[in-house]
Amino acid sequence: MSGDHHNTDDTGPAARVKALEALLTEKGLIDPAAIDAIVDIYETRVGPRNGARVVAKAWTDPAYRKRLLANATSAVAELGFAGPEGNHLVAVENTDRVHNLVVCTLCSCYPWPVLGLPPVWYKSFAYRSRAVSDPRGVLKDFGLELAPDVEVRVWDSSAEIRYLVIPERPTGTERMSEDELAAIVTRDSMVGVAKIAAPASRRGDSRRARA
Amino acid sequence: MSTAALNKLIEAARLDADHVFSAPWEAHAFAIALKLSEAGHFSWDEFRDRLIAEVGASDRIRARDGTSDRGEYYEHFLRALERLLDEKGLVLQRVR
Repeated sequence: MSGDHHNTDDTGPAARVKALEALLTEKGLIDPAAIDAIVDIYETRVGPRNGARVVAKAWTDPAYRKRLLANATSAVAELGFAGPEGNHLVAVENTDRVHNLVVCTLCSCYPWPVLGLPPVWYKSFAYRSRAVSDPRGVLKDFGLELAPDVEVRVWDSSAEIRYLVIPERPTGTERMSEDELAAIVTRDSMVGVAKIAAPASRRGDSRRARA
Repeated sequence: MSTAALNKLIEAARLDADHVFSAPWEAHAFAIALKLSEAGHFSWDEFRDRLIAEVGASDRIRARDGTSDRGEYYEHFLRALERLLDEKGLVLQRVR
């Protein structure tokens, strides 16, 4: 394995983090309360509901959609979404001819202010290693089969640019309000690994069953 | 091989859609890194460079051996953080 001098493999990660936090606290470099606050923000407050609001607004407000496509960073800031990992956001739009898929092949770059932190599969070797070379195969794993004539565009995120997919608005949603629309926009659809099914025919296996 | 691994992770995400951390230590490692970066002890880009190196080393082993990861991303994350803190001298302490 690795011959590094840390020799930290002897101790589990939980113990290492605990020791690190204690040491940094003792040195006055961090405040445990501030650490808990960050955990709370990223566990409960920053997440794909933000992106869903952006998408719902883009679907219902043509002027906003235009601003979003022109400069996503400033367009999402209009809704109050900004922060780390959101400084150079680009919105890409799915149509009946084009499907966009987002990956970070090197690590885990992801638009935090609108989607929160990435799910485990996004950071996995299985996803990162195949999204570029075999995007249709990856999409198939997610249960999404695209027609052969649909162009798949894969966007590799980087330190500089993060992507948000604007999924296609499903048919049968013409009368829904912006809030109702936001409720049907999924995280997976904004990464490009899923479509949003029309409300009447939404597949039960594509989301958690509701009690 | 890869398909099976990805399917497993996708299924896990569906069962637990709101879960961004798999264990409290992952959340704390993330928060410590973000906080120290915000406080100016290092830039997030500096951290990301170490993270990419850790992830890349693991990827090369997986590609060579034909194995799949089991969601160990935060182990890479923690190692990257430890290395950076070490480089910056932020965790210097008396050895004994």
